[in-house]
Amino acid sequence: MNKDEGLLSSGLGMVLRNKRYIVWFYVLNIFLGLFGTVVFVNQVGSILDHSLQSDRLLHGFSLGTLIEMFSRPEFGPTVASRAPAMFFALLFLVATAMFLPGVLQGYASTYRLPRDDFFRTCGRNLWRFIRLMMVAGIVMGIAASALFGLHGVLERKAAESTNELLLPEVRIVGLFLIFLVMATLRIWFDLAEVDIVLNDQRAVGKSIAAGFRHTFRSLGRLLGSYLVATIGAAFVLSVGLFLWMKSVAPESVVGALLISQLTLLLLLIPRFWQRGVAVSYWQQHMMIPVVPAEPIEPQPVPAMVSDGSRVIPNSPLPTAES
Amino acid sequence: MQIRLRLAALIAASALEVIVLVNQKTTTAAGPQMMTPGKATSVSTPVPGALSIPDTTLAINSSTPMSQRVVHYEIDAKYDAAKHTVDATEVLTYHNVTGQALDHFPLHLYQNAFQPKSTWVREAKIEGSRDIAYDKWDEKKYGSEDIKNLEVVGQGDLTGQMQYIASDDGNKDDKTVVDLHLPKPIPSGAYVQFRIAFQTKLPETQARSGWKRDFVLGGQWFPKVGVWWHGAWNCHQYHATTEFFADFGVYDVKLTVPQDEVVGASGVQVEENNNPDNTKTVTYHGDDIHDFAWTASPRYKVRESVYQAQMGPIKLRFMMQPAHWNQAERHERITRQTLDHFESWYGPYPYKTLTVVDPEPDSAAGGMEYPTFITGDSSWFMPSGVYLPELVVEHEFGHQYWYGMVATNEFEDAWLDEGINSYTEVKVLDSILGKNTSILNIAGITLSEREAQRLGYLTAADLDAMAQKAYEYYSFSSYGGVTYGKTASALLTLEGIVGEDTMAKVMRAYFMKYRFTHPTKEDFLKTIEEVSGRDLRWYFSQAVYGTQVMDYEVLKIDSFPVHWYEPNKDRNAKGDTVFQSYVSLHRKQDFVMPLEVEIKFDNGEKIREHWDGQSRWTRFSYQKRARVVSAEIDPDHTVQLDSNNFNNSYTVEPDAKPAHKVANYWLFLTQCLSQALGWWAV
Repeated sequence: MNKDEGLLSSGLGMVLRNKRYIVWFYVLNIFLGLFGTVVFVNQVGSILDHSLQSDRLLHGFSLGTLIEMFSRPEFGPTVASRAPAMFFALLFLVATAMFLPGVLQGYASTYRLPRDDFFRTCGRNLWRFIRLMMVAGIVMGIAASALFGLHGVLERKAAESTNELLLPEVRIVGLFLIFLVMATLRIWFDLAEVDIVLNDQRAVGKSIAAGFRHTFRSLGRLLGSYLVATIGAAFVLSVGLFLWMKSVAPESVVGALLISQLTLLLLLIPRFWQRGVAVSYWQQHMMIPVVPAEPIEPQPVPAMVSDGSRVIPNSPLPTAES
Repeated sequence: MQIRLRLAALIAASALEVIVLVNQKTTTAAGPQMMTPGKATSVSTPVPGALSIPDTTLAINSSTPMSQRVVHYEIDAKYDAAKHTVDATEVLTYHNVTGQALDHFPLHLYQNAFQPKSTWVREAKIEGSRDIAYDKWDEKKYGSEDIKNLEVVGQGDLTGQMQYIASDDGNKDDKTVVDLHLPKPIPSGAYVQFRIAFQTKLPETQARSGWKRDFVLGGQWFPKVGVWWHGAWNCHQYHATTEFFADFGVYDVKLTVPQDEVVGASGVQVEENNNPDNTKTVTYHGDDIHDFAWTASPRYKVRESVYQAQMGPIKLRFMMQPAHWNQAERHERITRQTLDHFESWYGPYPYKTLTVVDPEPDSAAGGMEYPTFITGDSSWFMPSGVYLPELVVEHEFGHQYWYGMVATNEFEDAWLDEGINSYTEVKVLDSILGKNTSILNIAGITLSEREAQRLGYLTAADLDAMAQKAYEYYSFSSYGGVTYGKTASALLTLEGIVGEDTMAKVMRAYFMKYRFTHPTKEDFLKTIEEVSGRDLRWYFSQAVYGTQVMDYEVLKIDSFPVHWYEPNKDRNAKGDTVFQSYVSLHRKQDFVMPLEVEIKFDNGEKIREHWDGQSRWTRFSYQKRARVVSAEIDPDHTVQLDSNNFNNSYTVEPDAKPAHKVANYWLFLTQCLSQALGWWAV
């Protein structure tokens, strides 16, 4: 691979060459989401299906009607609908962890990765990824706790100010900085993931160390690429919501479903783009180079002379004088 | 007309009483501490040296006083911005119009509520409070109100005669009411003057009073005499759920504050003088008001304009936070629109000023009413479709009518001010911002004031009655849900019973008849009956005096061919077969009310039925060449008190679209959550 190729373009190229992964993850996302919504649909349907009052939710979106619906005893405890949603969201996380190694392998491949290879890669790296996720969880958890704790302190200080805008400014700037730090950590562990898969690295610690070194060696480049992808995600979400609000009639359930699902499908791309960036970076900077072997010159077979002394090839035969 | 007669009688009686008082020589009456600023517009001249209540009209657009003036407060106060204390002298002149001699006077010391052992804090810890939970409460944030010295003119120093009383709950640690026994009773018709030196330490904002950062709102900050009402003193302790009750009168207040403070207050500003000690003294005068509040902050930005009201011009003053300056126009627009509606619907606003304060962010000072002075509530980020500033300003302005002028007892009948005001708030905001969008109208999501009031009621539908003392509610949320939400919902429902036009006449009649008085709940209820010409006791006994809950439902709809037993392949054909249909209605709860029901058939026909709602259930039957497709109780949606709107109607065929629409939002959120987890965790 060309060392000077841009991370963003090469990462995006990988994503586009392997669009099937996006589709697979989207299918997984919507199926698990549907499972997580079944209880909610039943709860809501028991209240709305036979009531004319539900028209206030269909033609328009009356928040008062929605709140009243949630407060009805027939709706049941909200945990009944929240718990499945959380459960299936966690299941999606587990599925992502399981199938991600195959995705990374596919991105690195110059050919379409056969399905067997995909799943073999997933299986081979599953335990490594679990270990990596545990380390990442600890590191990112500690970092997030510390940063949000500090953020809270700064907010309390800012709240004492007579300048009302100081608090929202501190809040926004603080959250942005936290995002940058957490994104940096994410880059670190993304590189480690790629290294584990593509280097077939059993020693997870070595990949973590390599990821750490390279994250800070090329932080500007990597973080910039990740930021661009994040901005892309924000753009997709904003445009999707805008179109949902402006172009879909309130009573059009199918229209709302289509625009919301299209948004969610496109929303998967930026994260895969970031992974493509990580793979591209790994290939450019972390891959252990394969040194071309020097041509081996044939070695003359040592010959033995009759007196037992060795004859060195290409050397003059021993003479009587020597 | 009645008001004029009452005023003429009042002036005559006052003159007579002054003469009696002078003859009694019970006092060596001193004149007011300061020049009474309204002399130029006064209608009569008190006898020099005698005690009286000024008949000034400087602060109102009327040439004569509009209320029976019982009190005259002359306060000279100095605010220490560093210590948040007010050191003041107060001269309180009280006119005994009770018809009997008075030998004791209770005084409110409201700021003593903000002490750990007070009844207010005790209740707030149990029942909840809108401000703080008191888990951690720093002593320097307490409030207090101490009378340093009290002298009754003609009777000497009676500081030692004062006793704290707690007639509501017997809490010996509560110091919010002090009772003063006089050696010499004050005869009926006479005046008495109290000279009080006091110090108030304002708390960090609580209950819409106190300081926050460099902002201060001086509410309920001075010793205030109780109200002689129905043959006894009415001077309740300050409770977590109560507000206030006071007599009308005249206020002359001097406020001395640091020179950099921007000051606003009740009444009209008379003068402002800088002092050598880097302070300034601002003087205010108020007529026909029953309280006086003020605010100061060095950071207010002020916008002023004039509103031409029915009785004369009103000076509008908007004291905005710097970060909200771009919302000043919003505040002014809703104030003007609200004034338009109130003057047109209920009656004139007679005062010459209205000060709208945008209080310190994150303070417990937002959303409060004082005479001619209200506080709004906003934030630096306030999208145009979120009508919080409009809602609060409208509500607090409404209190100028329902509290300010129709001065009901907020301790005992909170629903008469908060509830009636919430009802008119719904009406006014419906008119200005739309019936379905008066709180929120953003991104297709809507919320109306009437929905919000009803939801508030539903949180505590059966716990307390509206006609209940404010401090006897089960909890703060029950107080809020019933006093505001249930009352508004009950009056909207009543509007459906008597008609919107009749209800509008009721409200105008009630205001015009009882402004500048202290009406009772029965005064209001009788006005409704008188104007509507209907006996509504059946409704009041449940909605106002009772805790009954209303829930009517369409229980079942059946339609089947009359000759169901005859084999006929085409019997289900539309228009050919005669169907026997039944619509069953059910009264699930104990609130009884006559109702309209609309039944729709599959041939498009609609029938309206009336049900008296008395029995537990009823059934309507029809034989038609059409099946019933739906039935709806209260098809005009006038019954706000029904606790479940969903079962008020039933469609034979289910329509899953609404549920699917809502479920789609849930699906979207669930998938977003999944993706977010996948983004950050792996």
